[in-house]
Amino acid sequence: MMTGDIERYLAVGAGLFALGAIGFLTRRNLIMIFLSVELMMHGVGLTFVSFGRLHHTLEGQVFTIFSLTVAACEAGVALALILAIFQLSKSLDLDLWTDLREAGLPNPASPEELAPPPEQEHPQYPTLTPAGRAPVLDRRTVAAQSQNPCTKNEPLVHS
Amino acid sequence: MTGIAGYELLLVSLVLAALGIWALMPGRPVSVRCLGWGLGLLAALGLGVRFFEPSGPVVENALFYTFGGSALLCGTLMITCRNPVYGALWFALATLATCGLFLVQGAPFLSAATIIVYAGAIIVTFLFVMMLAQQSGATAYDQRARQPLIAILAAFTLVGALLVTLDRSPAALQPAPPVAQIEIANPLSHPGEHESLGTLRGLGRSLFGDYLFAVEVAGTLLLVASIGAIAIAPRRSQGT
Repeated sequence: MMTGDIERYLAVGAGLFALGAIGFLTRRNLIMIFLSVELMMHGVGLTFVSFGRLHHTLEGQVFTIFSLTVAACEAGVALALILAIFQLSKSLDLDLWTDLREAGLPNPASPEELAPPPEQEHPQYPTLTPAGRAPVLDRRTVAAQSQNPCTKNEPLVHS
Repeated sequence: MTGIAGYELLLVSLVLAALGIWALMPGRPVSVRCLGWGLGLLAALGLGVRFFEPSGPVVENALFYTFGGSALLCGTLMITCRNPVYGALWFALATLATCGLFLVQGAPFLSAATIIVYAGAIIVTFLFVMMLAQQSGATAYDQRARQPLIAILAAFTLVGALLVTLDRSPAALQPAPPVAQIEIANPLSHPGEHESLGTLRGLGRSLFGDYLFAVEVAGTLLLVASIGAIAIAPRRSQGT
């Protein structure tokens, strides 16, 4: 059933492609979507190199180098686009841009996803009763503080 | 049911892997994620047994399992982790493992070029962008997955179909019969029977001999893409 060891490299390539596809379809962060596409390209490159070794030609490696070039171009343009989108929405969330979908299609984001996230409750600060005497601050002490920060607490001590 | 005879181990392993990844998706409680790790371990064992070749050389077996296993593991961690910074780092590790597989298959120049382009340039740029974007800490949109069931079903159907098809068509996995050197359109890309495949000299001869026009087009593409990136990127005065 096994025909040489080429099959397992192809299996790893298919696995990488499938993992990238899952990430592309499920993640909602723009950068994670882009990295998933790159993972898919790794799987395809591995398949190219495997078949090139099987047929003992350099075409697989040459084609992978060209796809590497295209990936670099793609990364540059995509990063510029992500920065521009981040400027507009201050977020990497893809769901903020579902208005761009085709007319007549329902919103892919469910209503509970569209609802704003619940506000984080503020931590309970302890309430302290006021104690001690209020410091006397006249112009001279303020000037002395600004001149020599080390003697900042002096008026408090002497008063 | 006779159609799947002989593929039980493969199909069961793939179903276990699909269930494991479904359980590992972001937004699940810790107990479900532990179950996912267990299922993934079982699936990895099954696939390892399925693709084990006792006749092959020990070193190549060990290298394949190290690099292939870590590539798939890092890919899984990348698509399931909730912090995009960790996701980028797992992607870098998956890239390194893929480069190791390139190296095992006799493509050292391609391996080095991939490391330089991906792990060196793209990951650093992505981390830079993420530092800009993630100053407020964890975000809500990283904690949920969109339609994970359908995506995993589609992807694993594809993988299962590919593997079964590869297994059933052994003719596609045999080396092509040698053709006369005159009939080949790109003779420099076909090294001789006893020549090594991955030498830099052979690759350079192929790139700048057979594919010179394509290399020029690729260079032009890089130039156009860099101009486009500079044109699209927001100006600094607006605050990046």
